[in-house]
Amino acid sequence: MQKAIHTENVKNAIRALGWTQKELAVQLGVTGQAVTNWMKGNDFPRPDKLLKLATTLKLGFGELVSVPKESVPVIAFRKKGGAKTTDEHVTKAMVMGALLKALVPFLPALPQLRRQVSAPPTDYDALQAVVAQVRKSLGLGEGAILHYEQLLSEFAENGAIVIPVMWGALQNHKNALHILLPQENVTFIFLNLDTHLEDFKFWMAHELAHVFTTELAGTDEGEDFADAFAGALLFPRELARKVYEQLAGQTKAHEAKVLKAFAHEHGISLYSVFAEVNRYVDSQGLPALKHVGTDIHAMRNAQRGKLVSENLFAPLPPEPAAYLAAAERQFQSSFFQALRRMVQEKQIGAGYIQQVMDIPMQDALALHGELTR
Amino acid sequence: MTTEVLLDTNTYLRLAKRIRPAVGRQFGQVPYVLIILKAVEDEVHQSSKLRFKNPWFDEPEFAQERMAKQVRLSAVDKSQIELVRDVLLGIVQLDIDKYTSNKRSPPGRTDCWLLAYGQVRDAIVATDDLGMHTLAAEAGLRVWHGYELLLKLKTAKVVDKQKVREIYEALEANDDLTETWRRAKHDQFAKIFGSKGSQ
Repeated sequence: MQKAIHTENVKNAIRALGWTQKELAVQLGVTGQAVTNWMKGNDFPRPDKLLKLATTLKLGFGELVSVPKESVPVIAFRKKGGAKTTDEHVTKAMVMGALLKALVPFLPALPQLRRQVSAPPTDYDALQAVVAQVRKSLGLGEGAILHYEQLLSEFAENGAIVIPVMWGALQNHKNALHILLPQENVTFIFLNLDTHLEDFKFWMAHELAHVFTTELAGTDEGEDFADAFAGALLFPRELARKVYEQLAGQTKAHEAKVLKAFAHEHGISLYSVFAEVNRYVDSQGLPALKHVGTDIHAMRNAQRGKLVSENLFAPLPPEPAAYLAAAERQFQSSFFQALRRMVQEKQIGAGYIQQVMDIPMQDALALHGELTR
Repeated sequence: MTTEVLLDTNTYLRLAKRIRPAVGRQFGQVPYVLIILKAVEDEVHQSSKLRFKNPWFDEPEFAQERMAKQVRLSAVDKSQIELVRDVLLGIVQLDIDKYTSNKRSPPGRTDCWLLAYGQVRDAIVATDDLGMHTLAAEAGLRVWHGYELLLKLKTAKVVDKQKVREIYEALEANDDLTETWRRAKHDQFAKIFGSKGSQ
């Protein structure tokens, strides 16, 4: 990886100590010329000197070393409701990104012609136009149900690698993680299977939006677009209109029944249907629905269905072979094939798998055993 | 003035059951003192496999010994260790290929924390993790393989030949003999087990 010393930060730290570059060199046990070469970007300190430089000047890695922007992984979390992202979450995801770089040479050739949405819109009409284009290219007629397989094909055709993981239903900060490696032009998408089936399609569509808007990955604008895109892709204007037409002049109970029926038919959450109908209502200046958001959340929370992992595997947890087969067949993922080749060719230990997938060591050991068979 | 020898989880699990007392034990002329960190406690308790393979870990004799000898770090030490850990993790990321070959795994946050502890407290980390050894060699940190610790304990007469045999037998019975332990058996411990050629 191309790297250089962050000259400004080092100069400031030396100044704060009242030293010269020569005095710093003495402290580090190197020649003055060595320090000059680092500062000019002609050379980079060996790891032992880099560590000594950091401890002497009290600079963290990010303050001490600059790397080209394109070599830094771009990350975006699909957080669980209310979860806070800490520095530790970010560091862990950045390490995962760095580790994924080593896997890239083992991936199959990825398509280079990819869909990109330039200037992603969030206003209703423009967003619906974008979604209509995507749905058309997927062969979806007006109001047709978007299936998992179609979403997964879009990931594959746009050079995104899906990694199904089981991060748990409760004590986890994120339900999906998007890692873009700009230099390698590859996107990895971790999808937590320990999530409710009714939410899963939304998260997949949300992640697909990130794939279509790589320049916005990791920004608030990108997150807003991804949320808006996911809802509209799964339940576009024609469907929202159809729902609204069935509600006109009816009771609140009837409204709930219709919303639930559409949510069930499309395999998405009640809230997604409600939100998209509301957006349609707002765009048309129509009278509001009888339900409000809190009603819908209460109804949804009373009837949470199964987790994706519970639908896929019985009993849980699955044997490693069954898990790898599901990743390959049902999620069209080339991740584990690449990982198998890498583990066998480079004789990597289970610690790599543990870190790159952010899973417990015992699970990594079981997977490592299967991948080395 | 003692030099701390920090045991990582696997080294503790490989040796502590048979070397009594273990944590807090001083040995050698330096002298060295064996220590473990709370991270070991957490790692074992979070892994049903490790708990199943090492049912003795939570027996009062061992648990109390670990609790009594817990190292308490000052705020300054903690902040220095965090800075060093951050740099070590960065060093791994700068040259990831070096840590993803020949049965190595890239050192993670806990691994780097142990190595950082060693750097800040001038301690030696005892580990069989080859990725940690590679990073330590690159960053100029002191590490021992588990067998090197056993060798020092034998030189200091903390363990005898019979104990070394017992430890090797247990590692072999548990299918826990790493390549470095295997090589050391007929090399460093040739006086006990014979050299490879004599087998």
